Amino acid sequence: MSELVQIKDLTIAYQMGQAAIYAVDQVTLDIKQGETIGIVGESGSGKSTLGMAIGKLLSQNAVVEAGQITIGSDQVQDCSGEELRRIRRDRLGFVFQNPMTALDPTMRIDKQVSLAFARKSTPDERLSLLRRSGLENAEQVAKSYPHELSGGMAQRVVIALSIARNPELIIADEPTASLDASIQDKILDLMIQLRDEAGASMVLLSHDLGMVAKRCDRVAVMYGGRIVEIGNSKSVFEDPKHPYTRALIKAAAGNEKPGERLEPIGGVPPVLRTSSTYCAFADRCGFAKDICFSKRPETHSEEGVMVTCHFEAKQLAGDEIVDEVRA
Amino acid sequence: MKILISNLQRLLFGDLLGGVGFLLLLTFCILGFFGPYLPIGDALTIGAGPRLGAPSMEFLLGTDDLGRDYLPRVVEGIGVTFLLSSIAVVITAVIGTLLGMLAGYLHGFTDSVIARFADILLAFPALLFGLLTSAVIGPGQLSAIVVISAATIPLFIRVIRSVTLSVAEREFVTAAVVAGASTWRVMIVHILPNILGAAIIQLTYALSVSMIIESALSFLGLGVQPPDASLGSLLRLGSVYLTISPWLVLAPGIVLALAIMAVNILGDSIRDALEPLRGRPLT
Amino acid sequence: MEANKVLEFRDVAVTYHKGPFWNRSSTNAVKKVNLSVAEGETLGLVGESGSGKSTLGRVALGLIKPSGGSFEFAGLPFDPVLRKEGAMSVVLQHPEWALNPRLKNWVSISEPLKIQTSLTRQQRYEATLKMLSQVGLDPDFADRYPGELSGGQRQRVAIARALITKPRFILFDEAVSALDVSVQSQILNLIKELQEQLRFASIFISHDLAATRYVSDRIAVMLEGDIVEVAEAQKFYEKPDHPYSQQLYATIARNA
Repeated sequence: MSELVQIKDLTIAYQMGQAAIYAVDQVTLDIKQGETIGIVGESGSGKSTLGMAIGKLLSQNAVVEAGQITIGSDQVQDCSGEELRRIRRDRLGFVFQNPMTALDPTMRIDKQVSLAFARKSTPDERLSLLRRSGLENAEQVAKSYPHELSGGMAQRVVIALSIARNPELIIADEPTASLDASIQDKILDLMIQLRDEAGASMVLLSHDLGMVAKRCDRVAVMYGGRIVEIGNSKSVFEDPKHPYTRALIKAAAGNEKPGERLEPIGGVPPVLRTSSTYCAFADRCGFAKDICFSKRPETHSEEGVMVTCHFEAKQLAGDEIVDEVRA
Repeated sequence: MKILISNLQRLLFGDLLGGVGFLLLLTFCILGFFGPYLPIGDALTIGAGPRLGAPSMEFLLGTDDLGRDYLPRVVEGIGVTFLLSSIAVVITAVIGTLLGMLAGYLHGFTDSVIARFADILLAFPALLFGLLTSAVIGPGQLSAIVVISAATIPLFIRVIRSVTLSVAEREFVTAAVVAGASTWRVMIVHILPNILGAAIIQLTYALSVSMIIESALSFLGLGVQPPDASLGSLLRLGSVYLTISPWLVLAPGIVLALAIMAVNILGDSIRDALEPLRGRPLT
Repeated sequence: MEANKVLEFRDVAVTYHKGPFWNRSSTNAVKKVNLSVAEGETLGLVGESGSGKSTLGRVALGLIKPSGGSFEFAGLPFDPVLRKEGAMSVVLQHPEWALNPRLKNWVSISEPLKIQTSLTRQQRYEATLKMLSQVGLDPDFADRYPGELSGGQRQRVAIARALITKPRFILFDEAVSALDVSVQSQILNLIKELQEQLRFASIFISHDLAATRYVSDRIAVMLEGDIVEVAEAQKFYEKPDHPYSQQLYATIARNA
């Protein structure tokens, strides 16, 4: 499988008045053709910025300070105008979190679907696209306005729009976060199924490691603008190596046994003012040593998984997390 | 409050346009208040100079049809227009904000009554209302204030009502109610400070509207009466001589345009300064 | 265990009416609910948007009157004077709006005291400091503004405010839903510890079964205005009975 997207040493900062906030800190990532990769992170991890950067969809005050993003042979950062539109239109598909704001509230669904097609479409083609997205009453949906649909139905429409032109890459940013729990699974399954049919790559951004690990080939865990662990999703989820990944799984409700105590990660996610010169997780890490506070960790390989830490997981196995709650 | 002040400071020294607007307005304010005391000539003396004299070294803006020095007349005009509009707007702001808050927070019958009241006022064209008022209480400054208030109160009521509706839904309001806060306390301690921003923006907008209304009324002869001068009445008196002595119209006209523009620019800048959420990073 | 019942819902129904009186449409937000919550107990209320759980929460706070049935607080029908006694408080979902941005934190935290008691400013300030340490925050948070705090910190401040009158009942409505995963568990642990110390009754409303079962003693599952299942939290670690509860359970257990 060849590389569809190559992200190299990407650093992105947001200009907020006088100061800058760094969201992505020298990230290198390759997305292969046909693979699904999940990017997991909390607030300030940089995952949304990274995802949106692929389509050059960042706000005005976001500055790409270094690095580049290449899709096939196109260098996204250098593209603009018609070229950029072409890339977004023909090669990329987006699914955002809130379907109600992703759809135009003033247009019927049928019209929005027709706009998504590459050339003039027939009503049948449009209806069949909606049906592919699991909307059985496609005629009814096509005649409706977005606000007349439920959250789940609207998101199905958004998904249909995203695959209309058979994109090479689908980027989904928390696609189920605003949907009810009972349909989250169905929507995710739908996305995977459509992706499989199209042979497209998919980037799934989420804060939910479990949900992502179940559906993606690879998982990347982001913290403080860097990818701290990336590898085969089974490995990352069942045998996490990076202290943050391990802590995240222990802290998340849902994985514990009855009566077992959740161990929160004390402290708060960092706000980076510069590209960090030491480990961004150090002040919350139960295993941190002096070197963690003074030197920027490099990425090394451990059992097929790439980990960004000064230490290897087996070195940390002996230590215990000291004081867990550092508020 | 502190947040507000620091925002304003940032606005005025950071944003060029806003700063210009503010300075212009400040100039007008000073001229308005201290005009009569400045050594720029006497507005009242008839025959101080030739009739309809062109601008010269002695009379910087020339003289009007009664030979009065025009510069101090224009300065007086600025003061009157500005003062009248400001007084009217402040009265309106206080009443309108109060009514808007009551409507937005209490809902139900109170809301219906206040909202309909605002709609009725809004339906009246200001100038027709001006004719009516002048007919009833006679033309003059009071009449102008009444008309301006009637025209601008609905603006406040509507905007404050809608902002109140959204603030009232916020959770700290619910928390206060659950803790036993009285309606009065909720409105003064929780809602009012959070709608001040919107109120201030409306204030600047209402000010520019009110200056236009005042000038229009005075231009029609319904507002300020001679020998008092407002920019509108100066426009009126000068319009007769437009082809002979254009400066009689140009001077107050340009000043009026500048004043309104300054208020609008300032209003825009204030609004921008109070909306610091643009360009937040994604997470 | 017959502990004192703090809240009792008997056949409670809530119906909303929309539109002018000649064209009324009604929605049954809550159909017929029977529940009770004892002192020191946390009842989890799980369901999705539109299930009626938030409406039920508002009934518990006396903010909504039931259209049918009755709601009792400590054995008596709800009376607004309970508020003045500091009997109840609430922690809501959005940390951004939980606190009045124009007031310093200590003012927000001690507001219930200001409304309900005649303590002096100094006394209220001191009560606030005690509360801050109980929720694990530095005393210097007292003089700061909400805007300077993170989401998790703001929720702690909101919890401090909820506790300051030593209420008999606290409602948590999606209190951790807007927080990051690593911060959620901090708050969930805090709620558990505080309840053990202070023995208040509480209802924990959430759409997230995982968080709810961790913090609750019993859980009631709501679907379209009805309670479809009530069981010990333990049940939701194994397998609940009702098909809808099972659906919710399945989304957590997906990774097992």
